[in-house]
Amino acid sequence: MNKESVIIIENVTKRFPVGEGEFTALKNINLQFKRGEFTGLVGPSGSGKTTLLNIIGSLDSPTEGKAIVLGKNISDLSHQESALLRNKHIGFIFQVYNLLPVYTVFENVEFALLLQDYSKEERKKMVMEALEWVGLAGMADKKPDKLSGGEGQRVAIARAMVKRPEIVIADEPSANLDAANTHAILKTMKQLNEELGTTFLFSTHDEKVMGYLERIIHLRDGAVEEDEIIEANIINR
Amino acid sequence: MIQFLLKGILRDKSRSLLPITVVSIGVALTVMLSAYMEGAFGDMIDQNARFETGHVKVMTQAYAENKEQLPNDLAILGVDELTESLRSDFPQMEWVNRIKFGGLIDVPDENGETKGQGPAAGIALDLFGANSREAQRLNIESSLVTGTMPTKKGEALIGHDFSEKLNVKIGDEVTFFGTTMNSSMTFQNFIVSGTIRFGAASMDRGALIVDISDAQHMLDMEDASGELLGFSKLNVYDDDQTQEMAAQFNAKHTKDDDEFSPIMLPLREQNNLGPMLDYSNMMSGIFIFIFVFAMSIVLWNTGLLGGLRRYQEFGIRLALGEAKGQIYRSLLMEAVLIGIIGSIVGTAIGLAVAYYLQVVGIDISGYMDNSTMLMPSVLRAKVTPGLFFIGFIPGLLAMVFGNMLSGIGIYKRETARLFKELEV
Repeated sequence: MNKESVIIIENVTKRFPVGEGEFTALKNINLQFKRGEFTGLVGPSGSGKTTLLNIIGSLDSPTEGKAIVLGKNISDLSHQESALLRNKHIGFIFQVYNLLPVYTVFENVEFALLLQDYSKEERKKMVMEALEWVGLAGMADKKPDKLSGGEGQRVAIARAMVKRPEIVIADEPSANLDAANTHAILKTMKQLNEELGTTFLFSTHDEKVMGYLERIIHLRDGAVEEDEIIEANIINR
Repeated sequence: MIQFLLKGILRDKSRSLLPITVVSIGVALTVMLSAYMEGAFGDMIDQNARFETGHVKVMTQAYAENKEQLPNDLAILGVDELTESLRSDFPQMEWVNRIKFGGLIDVPDENGETKGQGPAAGIALDLFGANSREAQRLNIESSLVTGTMPTKKGEALIGHDFSEKLNVKIGDEVTFFGTTMNSSMTFQNFIVSGTIRFGAASMDRGALIVDISDAQHMLDMEDASGELLGFSKLNVYDDDQTQEMAAQFNAKHTKDDDEFSPIMLPLREQNNLGPMLDYSNMMSGIFIFIFVFAMSIVLWNTGLLGGLRRYQEFGIRLALGEAKGQIYRSLLMEAVLIGIIGSIVGTAIGLAVAYYLQVVGIDISGYMDNSTMLMPSVLRAKVTPGLFFIGFIPGLLAMVFGNMLSGIGIYKRETARLFKELEV
């Protein structure tokens, strides 16, 4: 395995049964992602973005080919091993934030740490640090329904980042945000990417998001149409 | 994590208060219905036993064949000896003599002229015996409406409604007219010491209660008795035991060629109570089964919906790295917790209402004015040990099964599919 590569996708094909036939969501994909990349998967609906992210996030496995994430072949992992991989190494950011409404901002972020062996004091320190990263340390005791859309997504970023994962998968993170909030969360994620070296993988349609990406992979009908390096954004880094 | 999830359950009323309320209501209804069924049928059997049939009853064969006519001319003779024999052969039972008799009550005015008359249905029992529990068995003292228990020979209790109809007051003298065991006419004066209402319409009409020695003297029945009743000393009717006892007694004492030889009948062979016993057991079982089954489906559905509503949370937890098995186990733990809390609360409520219904009951005497059935005019629930547990069947098991079923979806769906449902 290339030392620099945290994700290697080799000849990955994914088919889903549809009625009596099959739908091929990914067709023989070959990609590599290096540590610290800030990359987006771009393409129309049905192009295979989410399917590929699900495989990388060990939520699904390829029908053919290999997806090797942090040295582990996703197809070989049991449910528990997949869960452990997500628990320790992968953070998720969703389109609709998915904060648990009955818990406070602090507790929503802390949730990610409960499956790991941190003491209460350690968890408190890590959660507050994550909330400071996203500028919400003063809102730790608020419930999600008291937050704006942008604040909610920042809590989701803090929840994804609090365990300091090596990979963060963000599926259309700006879909429900206005321009100002989109720029605010992208700046936050970019900053975390630079400071912590976390690999970010986006699925997006949003031109504003694309403006921050260092690499854009264009997908169409389940195949890679173009793999584009945005030198300007790398230089800016 | 458990503490964290518990916090979520307590804060989310749709996950705590709502299911606990639904479980509690279901369990409370189950407990109440079960208590009511036990009470209604049990009371009917118990009341028949106490007033009419005993757990077993010994009569002459001839008396047994005509007992609706209260044929005291066919009564058991040498009853003292037979009673001793029964006490020796069946020491687990308490044996008592009773005489039932019919006649006329005449109420004279101050001049000795008849002021009023009415038909009397008399029961003679041991009111004065040192060890007699007959008054207690028939609940006479607490059924007194006015006056006191008879304290000496020549005193009697009469039905309260009967006393009002005949305008009889405490201390008044009434005269009973009837026939003796030898078919000659008899009359006897009694002082009314109290009036009584049993709560059984057929008993309350024309009731006259006297001590058995008064009746034996009045009816020429010295050392005779119409009926010899046996009651379990544990006060529990055991169908199998009484049938076995009757078979033993009859094998020893009953003779086909002697209609005056005694025969023992268990409760189920009297007053058509056998089919009633079978019917009550069956109906009680069916009602309780249907109700428990229905409540189980309702609570199962509650568990199912509770589980399905939480697919968003499960998706998040999967994303955060919780294994499916962990999520499933925590779902079941919650169901067990909610089921136990709901079952305890529901059982407590159900038992409280059942106890109230046991003590106060539902008065249906208004519907029984012309009833001839010996059944209680106040329907009561009965609190039994089984009621402490029966609610846990729908409350705990159905809740857990419902959640187990909804949780199977976690396993059946691909993780990515569950995850996708997050976005909905």
